[in-house]
Amino acid sequence: MAQEFTILGLESSCDDTGAAVVRGAPGAAQVVSSVVEGQAALHADFGGVVPEIAARAHAERMDVVVARALDQAGVGLGDIDAVAVTAGPGLIGGVMSGVMCAKGIAAGAGLPLVGVNHLAGHALTPRLTDGVAYPFLMLLVSGGHCQFLLVRGVEDFTRLGGTIDDAPGEAFDKTARLLALSQPGGPSVEREALNGDAKRLRFPRPLLDRPGCDLSFSGLKTALLRARDELMVDGTLKVQDRSDLCAGFQQAVVDVLVEKTRRALAIYLAENPAAPTLAVAGGVAANTAIRAGLETVSAEMGVGFMAPPLRLCTDNGAMIAYAGLERFAAGQVDGMTLAARPRWPLDQGAAGMLGGGRKGPKA
Amino acid sequence: MRSEPLTLGFDTSAAHCAAALLSGDRVIAARTEEMTRGQAERLFPLLEEVLTEGGATWADLSRIGVGTGPGNFTGIRIAVSAARGLGLSLKVPVLGVTSFEALALDLPGGTIATVAAPRDRIYVQTGGDDPRLIALETLEDEGLPRGATWVGAPADDCADRLAGQATAPRHPLAEAIARIAARKTPGPAPAPLYLRPADAAPARDTPPVIVP
Repeated sequence: MAQEFTILGLESSCDDTGAAVVRGAPGAAQVVSSVVEGQAALHADFGGVVPEIAARAHAERMDVVVARALDQAGVGLGDIDAVAVTAGPGLIGGVMSGVMCAKGIAAGAGLPLVGVNHLAGHALTPRLTDGVAYPFLMLLVSGGHCQFLLVRGVEDFTRLGGTIDDAPGEAFDKTARLLALSQPGGPSVEREALNGDAKRLRFPRPLLDRPGCDLSFSGLKTALLRARDELMVDGTLKVQDRSDLCAGFQQAVVDVLVEKTRRALAIYLAENPAAPTLAVAGGVAANTAIRAGLETVSAEMGVGFMAPPLRLCTDNGAMIAYAGLERFAAGQVDGMTLAARPRWPLDQGAAGMLGGGRKGPKA
Repeated sequence: MRSEPLTLGFDTSAAHCAAALLSGDRVIAARTEEMTRGQAERLFPLLEEVLTEGGATWADLSRIGVGTGPGNFTGIRIAVSAARGLGLSLKVPVLGVTSFEALALDLPGGTIATVAAPRDRIYVQTGGDDPRLIALETLEDEGLPRGATWVGAPADDCADRLAGQATAPRHPLAEAIARIAARKTPGPAPAPLYLRPADAAPARDTPPVIVP
C-alpha cells in the first residue's frame, strides 16, 4: 500500500482564492476540505478580470481562506505533510501573493514547499476524482486556457494542440457582454441558447479546414459582433435574435471542440492505452451542449469520458493540493527561492503557442 | 532561555529586501539588500539568514512587523502576503507598519514623512491626518505647514519648496518597523497601504437594449 500524505494546496492565479486539504496517495486521494472565494463582484464593472484588483483581493484573503480550509478539515498545520501552491502560469500579482503566503506557512510550520503548475492541477484532477490511470487525454477548456494534453505522468505532458488566440471561456464572456447577458458568460449564454435556433445564423468553424488539433476562437467573437450589429435596430436587439445568436455561437464552439477532440483522440489511441479515457476540465466543461458533444465523440471512438464535478473543474485549491501530492510523493520539493511565473508551459518540449516574445510562451 | 521577546521586522516596499531582528529593543541582526526585482525569491532566504545570525529560529519569534507601504504595489504585497502566512503558521501577532510611521520614528513631533510616488508625486502624511497622494508641482497648494522638518524621499525637495528642512530617519527602515511592531497594540491582519486605486477603466461597450 502506497504511503499516504496530507497536503495543503493554495490557488490564486486568476480571480478565485482557493485553499484545500487533500489526503491520500497518487491515484487514491480524497478532498478533505476545499474553500473557494470568488471575486466576480469585484470585477463586474470592468468587463473582465482586472489583474491589480485580483492581486489586491488575493493578498488579503489567502491566509483567511487557508485558515477556513484547515478548520473545515479539522486539522492543524501539524497534521500537514507539505504545502503546495500554484506557482504559475497566471496573473502574476495573484500568483505571487499565493506563493509568498505559502512560503510563510511552510517556513513557520517547518513544512516542505511544493510549487505546482496551475495547468497540471487541472490536468491531474481526473486522478483525484476518479483515480484515472496514465496515460489519459485531457481537454482543458476554461476562461484562460484551451489545450489537448496527453498526460503520461505527474511531469509528463504532451500538448497535442491548443488555441492559437483566445480561450472559449473568453469568447463566451465576450458574447455575454455583447448581448447584454450577465457574467460569467458561459452559463448565461447557455441558458439563452436553449430558446434559440442554432441553424438560423451561420457562424464560422475556425481551423476545421486545417489538419491538427489547434483551435481558434477570436474570429468567432468577431463573427458574433457582426451578426449582432446586422440584427440591431437603433441600439435594440430582439430577444429571439439574441437567443438565436447564442445558439448559433454555442453550436460553432461545440462543433470545433468535438472535431478537434476526434483528432486528438485518434493520436492518443495510437498509443494503445489500456483503459482509454478522455477527461475534460476547466469552467467551460460545465456547458451541457459541449459536454454532450464530447461524450458522443468519446462513445463513437470507444473511449471512456469523464468530467470532474464542476467545483473541481473550475479553479480550486484541491487540484493544486493533489498535483502537489503527486509531486511530493515522487520526492519533488521546492526551496524558499521558488519563483512565481506568469508563463509556464506544461509541455516543455513543444514550441510555445501563445505570447511568444522575450518572456517565453504563456502556455 | 531568552529573557527578551524577539521581533522580526521586514520590508519590500521599494527596490530592496530589508529585515531586522530585535531582542527586546536591541538589534541583534539586520540586513538590507538593494534590488529592483527578485524580492519574492530573496525574501525568505534573507529572513532565515537574519534569524540564523541572531541565533534564533522561526519558533522563537514573539512578533512580526511588516512594512505595508505605501510603495510599489507588488512589493508591498510580497511582504504582507509573507507576513500573513507567517502569522498563520507561527500564531504570533503580525503588525503592519506604514512607511510614514517607520520614517518618523523617534523624530520630533511635527516631522512630515514622505514617500516617493510614480510620476513626480509623493505620498505624504501629516500628524494624525489620512495619508495623501499629491503632485510635487502643487505641493505649495496643499495646505502643508511651512518651515517644517521633512523625512523620507524626496525630503530635500519638499523642504526646499516649503521653506523647511530635511532630516534623515533615525533608524534603518526594517529596524524601525520591528521597533514599532514590538510595542504596538496588535490589531487586524496587516493590509497593504495602496493610496491609489487599481488602474482599471470600466467596460466601454454599451450593450444593446433587449426588446421583445
